[in-house]
This record gives sequence, structure tokens and C-alpha cells, in this order.
Amino acid sequence: MSTIAEKYYPSEPEKPVIKTAIPGPVSQEMLKQLSGVYDTKASYYVADYYNSIGNYICDADGNMLLDAYCQIASIALGYNNPEILKTTKSDQMSVALANRPALACFPSTDYYKILEEGLLAVAPKGFTRVLTAHTGSDANEMAFKAAFIWQATKKRGDASFTAEELSSVMDNKLPGTSDMVILSFDKGFHGRLFGSLSTTRSKAIHKLDIPAFNWPKAPYPALKYPLEEHEAENRAEEQRCLDAFETIVSQWPGKIAATIIEPVQSEGGDNHASPFFFQGLRDLTTKHGILYIIDEVQTGGGASGKMWLHEHYGISPDIVTFSKKMQNAGFYFKDKEIEGAMPFRQFNTWCGDPSKALIARTICQEIMNNDLLDNTSKVGAYLYSKLEDIQKSYPKLVSNLRGKDRGHFISWTMPNASIRDKFLFICRQNGLNIGACGDESVRLRPTLTFGVKHTDILIDIVSKALSQL
Amino acid sequence: MSYTAKYFPTEPTEPKVLTETIPGPNGQIGIKSLSEVYDTRCTYFLADYEKSIGNYIVDSDGNTLLDVYCQVASIPLGYNNPTLLKVAKSDDMARVMVNRAALGNFAGVDYEKSQRNLLKFAPKGQKYIWNALSGADANELAFKAVFFNYQSKKRGFSNGFTTEEEKSCMENQAPGNPELAVLSFNKAFHGRLFASGSVTRSKPVHKMDMPSFKWPKAEFPSYKYPLDENKDFNDSEDVRCLEIVENFFKTWHCPIACIIVEPIQSEGGDNHASRTFFQGLRDLTLKYGAKLIIDEVQTGCGGTGLMWDHERYELSPPADLVTFSKKMQSAGYFFHDEELVPNMPYRQFNTWCGDQRLMMLSAAICQEIQDEDLLKSISTTGDYLFGELEKLQAKYPTYLAKLRGKGKACFIAFDMPSGTIRDSFLKKMKLAGVNMGGCAELGVRLRPTLTFEVKHAKVLIDAMSKVLSTL
Repeated sequence: MSTIAEKYYPSEPEKPVIKTAIPGPVSQEMLKQLSGVYDTKASYYVADYYNSIGNYICDADGNMLLDAYCQIASIALGYNNPEILKTTKSDQMSVALANRPALACFPSTDYYKILEEGLLAVAPKGFTRVLTAHTGSDANEMAFKAAFIWQATKKRGDASFTAEELSSVMDNKLPGTSDMVILSFDKGFHGRLFGSLSTTRSKAIHKLDIPAFNWPKAPYPALKYPLEEHEAENRAEEQRCLDAFETIVSQWPGKIAATIIEPVQSEGGDNHASPFFFQGLRDLTTKHGILYIIDEVQTGGGASGKMWLHEHYGISPDIVTFSKKMQNAGFYFKDKEIEGAMPFRQFNTWCGDPSKALIARTICQEIMNNDLLDNTSKVGAYLYSKLEDIQKSYPKLVSNLRGKDRGHFISWTMPNASIRDKFLFICRQNGLNIGACGDESVRLRPTLTFGVKHTDILIDIVSKALSQL
Repeated sequence: MSYTAKYFPTEPTEPKVLTETIPGPNGQIGIKSLSEVYDTRCTYFLADYEKSIGNYIVDSDGNTLLDVYCQVASIPLGYNNPTLLKVAKSDDMARVMVNRAALGNFAGVDYEKSQRNLLKFAPKGQKYIWNALSGADANELAFKAVFFNYQSKKRGFSNGFTTEEEKSCMENQAPGNPELAVLSFNKAFHGRLFASGSVTRSKPVHKMDMPSFKWPKAEFPSYKYPLDENKDFNDSEDVRCLEIVENFFKTWHCPIACIIVEPIQSEGGDNHASRTFFQGLRDLTLKYGAKLIIDEVQTGCGGTGLMWDHERYELSPPADLVTFSKKMQSAGYFFHDEELVPNMPYRQFNTWCGDQRLMMLSAAICQEIQDEDLLKSISTTGDYLFGELEKLQAKYPTYLAKLRGKGKACFIAFDMPSGTIRDSFLKKMKLAGVNMGGCAELGVRLRPTLTFEVKHAKVLIDAMSKVLSTL
């Protein structure tokens, strides 16, 4: 029986092809040219997307790397996926690109169907509505806006805006502006615009020199691994964090409009917590009238073996934000009141992009029609067991392996950043494109078509790289 | 042969309104379905973009409206423009969509070409571009570039951070997160996220209930019209407003790192200002070590007869950053000082760092404007249209006032006596076959495509005359 990768990508290479150092001479020359017009300080190499295929990214020197990083976790099905290609070449797509609408004012006749068959067909259980946005940061900030409007509306009741509110808001002053806050978590990452960055607490480099709102930060559980050997300690740690959360809620001088949390903190180091912790937050937010926003920007789209990682926890948040693998950003919600009592408050010119909604629809349908969640769970379990063996073989280099039963949303810790970075470098030279997270962690973010044969190659290269450290 | 005759041979010669209301019965059913999953309270009608052509938008009931609102000023070359359709159907387009790159990390082999194709159309004096996804995003990324630059000037461009800075920023506190301000203007619109929302001062509904930064709001000149009859008053208005700006630089409780200003305040009512005012801002920013950001989100990409409206002011030295979006389809900012690129990677960074599909559309739009001399033709249309509107203003002085935008192609607006009358006028215009938009409390703004020609202007004027006679 052929695997999904074989079905989509009959010409996918059997293994990586390495012809030069990475970046090779062609990449280096191109980066030099590109740096004349673009900041290339974060560039690894120049990619050749025409010749990339499936789980393999091709670079400008013709090297083919197995990709377990996938454009920072944003390629769902693999490069040059034939079904997405079909969508991109459809008439519906060219009409969408050549006539980009202001979606809230003049939506297209087909927008309902595109949403219904795509983004909404995979919505978390009970979520019936969607607001489309442009990026993960945008989605999160729109969710914050929804929370501020919702809270203020609740407070104001049926009353309309007062004259004082109407005039003070134009001067960015109370009572028209708001002193409500968003509560986020230590090591959280929610984007880099001014509201989202104020909730991001991953690394100083993300935040330095940018004015920020004085918003509070709660501790996120630091669990000990392996989980099964530290159950009592971890439970106590999660309870400590829940208590700290409630202390902040009761002591913060203003109103907390919403809390935002990733089901697994990704940029911040792939930090997991248990259903107990996430349900605890649900209980506390309900008790204190705080909206519960789950940020599924990196975790969503199926890599955990469920469409939305928080579904592993059996919780029901108020708002779920998404972007990355979905290619379209936005947030889901259940309660129409989240839209606010008046139009044109949650509004902008485009309110999304139908060309992205079309691609999102294809991705969602492919995930459903090909049982890709099931595939991801199985491959992830195999991958995790192989990595457990590696952790045993290299206990000094590999620790805190995490992501069991979370598909291939897997990561581990290395002794320090310089060893980690050297490890990633060696992996790339051997044909594995792989990414970092947090201060000293490695994260795996392959596509949903990543299979057993890709896993074996990844494990080989990881072992080889570890043996060279 | 005119552009539309050549490229939109099937464009209707006049609007066609088939239903008694807009939206008609089909539209109402469609909106009801959509409203089950999506907020439709701002929806005017459902559009059939496959059937829309050139300057005419078709709705789901087959009504065909002349469009002078154009997706809130964001359709540059008309619906189903063949040049854009060709780009949309190209293999290169399919490739950038199916493999959307994290451009900061893994730019593709053709990315340099995309950058350079766009840079060909940079405003005078600008050399570089940073890409974004929306106007609000572009403005906020421009603020970030300014703040990085402001602080790096203080510590030395290549110097590292102090431990205290690194620690305090994780708590959202100074010195890591310094208190720095962006100065904007009364009635300005720069977007609706939190920093862009803080500099937006157009209407309470855009801002209400949102936390905002304590940033200063200066006054934008409020001129008397017609301009040539009110020169003295308007000159003194410039002086007054510049003094207010300078006073903020002297007295604001924290440093003002930049000024952001639209060449024509659009959402805020199509408020124009003079070269003196804009050069005055340029001089003040230089004097006080601040940057000048020109927000060309709505004015840019040819709508005023120049590719970038602020070019008419020949600012010296050029603006520091120029932001764009809307008609460009892509978004971002142009700049020329290399030190507006932060000293370290991953500071001005995000997953996608723009969208190559939109950059390709952008470049094609700009190229088409140049190749087909559309700035010239839109200016010709604008001169004709302004003349006709002057006649209407003379005929209906109680309904039309403060006609503005002379010499700025079709970027024209006028005021009506009240919001209610304006709204009813816009509604009646739809039933008369013209899709038209308001701005601020009393304004009506014209935002047609760059392929709007005298024949379209005539249809517009005819419909307006009819509707005005019934008010």
C-alpha cells in the first residue's frame, strides 16, 4: 500500500542529496546579491521552490534536504502539493487574486461556501463562526480587540457611549480608551506587533526597544521529564502556576479582559502542560469572567495528530486563533456576542484574503479525505519511540524529550545553545533541515505527509550528528 | 484607443439596476447564509467577481454598478484586469502560493527579482523595501524600525544590550521597553491594531474600548475652500499647526521618535494640506532628531495622478519611511537609510515577512501603470470630473460643499450638509447604479480605479445629477 507521500509525490527523492556545503557557492552568491535589497541576516540559504518536492526542500545548489522545519512550521502538506497546485491554477483562484475584495463590505458570492467547506469544516468542536485575518499576530490582536469590546459592552450594558467616552478616546485617554489588560504566560509567543508583542515573553530579542503595554505575566509550568516518573511533582508545579494565575487575577488593579496561551509553547521552547492545567485555567477564567484565548498558530493544523492541539486536553476555550499551516489566519469563536454589538468596530479594508481561504479549504479537505491526522499520530508515535532510544544512547546531549502522543510535535533539550546550534548545523550539512526553539531546544515541525521512511532518515542523520558532537 | 476600450471590450456602457433594493433577493439570501458563520453587518451586497469587469462591479442579483469606491480604494486597474489575470494564472504565481516561504529565513531563487521589480517604483529618494501584509501591519512595522533605530542611535548602532535592558523588557518595562512616542494628527487614520490604533484619530468607533499608548495628537490644517480665495487664512493655518507640532517636541513627557502623516487624510474626511505644511514637518523632524513616516496606504499607487502623492511636495530631504498597501495589493514600507535595518537578525522579523504572491501583483500593477501611461489618463479624467463637480456644486450649493482634490486626478471629495443626507445620497446612488463611499461624518469620496475615463465620469455625473434633484 502506498503512503500518502508516495501518492502525492511519486518523484520525491528516496533520501537527501548533498552536493555542497550548505549554504553552497550558488546560495552564497545569491544571498550576497539579495542583501543589496533585502535584510538577509536571518537567511540560511536560498531555496529552489520549483524543484522542492514533498518533504524535501531543494536549495539553489541543488542540495535536497529532508525538511523537518518547513518554513517555521507553516507547510502543511509538503512542497508542490498537487492538490494545492490545482487550486492555485483554478479560475476561482485567478478571480480571487485579480479582484481582491474588501470582504466585510463586499464579500464574494462564493465566500460562504469556501469558509463552510474549508476553515469551518475543521473548526474545533462547538466553534461555529470565524473571523479571517492576515497573520498570526493580526489574528491574536483581533482576538484581543474582540475581548476588549466584549468586556466593555458587558460593563456598559445597553447604554450607548457617553459624551466623555467619545471625546476622551480621541486623546487616547480614559474612559474611552481602556485600561483592561491581556494576561499571558512566561515564555509565551503570540506575535510581534505592539499588542501581541506585549503578550510575547519568549526572548528579549523579540521585545527590545519596542514600547509595550504594562500587562501582567503568569508563570507557565516547568514540567520534569519523563512525565511518568514525575507525576506528583508536575501536578504540584501546575497547581503552583494556577494559584499564581489566580493571585494575579485577584491582585491586578485593573480588569483582565482575556488570557492567551499556547497549548504547547512553541517559540518559547516547546513547553507542554497537562489537561489538568488547561482545564484549571478554564475554570479560573470562567470564575473571574475572563475570556480564554487558545493560540493555535503553531500547534494547529494537524501536526499533533488532532486538528487543534488543545483538543487533546478536552477543554472548551472561548476563542481559538490560527495561522501558519492553515495559510489563512483568523480566529474561531462560538458566541455571536464576541462580534460586539455594533458593526465597523472589528473591521479593516480586506478582513482576510480569499486566495488564502481557497488554499486553506484545499488543505483542510486533504487532511480530512486522506486521514492525515491518523497518519501523523502513527508516524509521530514511531518517531517518538526512536527518539527515546536516541535519548538513552546520548543522555548528556538529549534530554527532556517531549511530545509523546502529540503526533510529531516533538522536541528535546540540548546542553546549551552553542551545542544545539552546532547540532542543527551538522544536521543541515547531512541533509536534514531542522529548527531550534527556546534557549537550547530542538523542535520537529515536519509536514503531515511525513512518513516512516522519512522518520528513519531523520533518525539516521540525528544519530550521526550527535555522534560528531 | 482608450485603456478600457482596449482591455475591457465587454465593459458595460452604463449601469444596470434590476432589483428594487440593493442587495436584491438573491443577495439577501446569500448574506443570510454567510451571516451564519461570518459577521455581515458591514456587508453592502454580495459581489460576483467573476462577472465584474473594468469599472463595473456586478452583484449576486445581476445588478451592474459603476464602482467609484472600489473595495475601499483598493482596486487599482479594474475588475478582471487581463494583465493581472495573466500574472494570477502564471506558473510563477502558482509556485509562490503552493510553497509559501518564510522569506526572512528561506527566500527562493526568484525572490531578489520580486524585490527589485517592486523597488523600481519606489518613491523618489527611497532605496529599500520591507514587506508586510496590511496597511496597519506596514505602519506598525515602520514604527518598530523607527524605535529600533532611535534606541540604537543612543547606544551606538553596533553595540549590544545591557543586562538590565534584556531583563526589564521581559516584564514590559523600561529601559528594555522604553517609553517613546509617535506623533500623529487629528482626523488621521493609520490602521486599527494597537499601535496603529493609537495613532488613528478619525472616529471614536475606530478606537473605543481599546487600550492605547499615550502618544501626542497634533492638529492637521483645516483649510477654507476654494483654496485660491482663502490663501491668507490657509497660510496661517499651516503656521498654527506647525507650532503645535513643535510644541509637542518641546514638552511631551517622553521622546517623540517619529511623526506619521497621510499626504491626504482619507478616512478622516479627505483633508488636504500644503507643501509648506509637509516641508515644515520635515524640517521639524530633522530639528528634533525624529523620523518622518508618510502613510501612502490610501493615497499611493497612482490615485492622485502621481505614483506617490507626497512626491508633489518634493520634500527635502526625502521622507524617512513611506508605507503602502491597498491598491498596491501588497503592503510594506520604503526607506533609504540603511540604519533603519536593525543591527541584528530576528528583530524586524516574523514567519512570512510578506507574501510574494502579493509582491508579484504589486509589481505588475506598477508596471502596467507605467507602460500604459495611466497616471496621465487618470489626471485627464480627474480634471474633467472636477470641472463637472464644480458645476454641480454651483447648482446644488446646499448639498455639495468644500469640493476638494483639484489637480489630484480623481482623488476627489465633497461634503454634504449632514450624515443622514449623505447616507441617503449614497444609498440612492447605488439604486441609480453607482457604488460610492463616504468618509468622515459628512464626506463623500471618489476612489475609482486608474482606468476610470471621461466616459465613466459622465455616467457618474449623470447619476449624481439625477439623485441630487430628488434630495
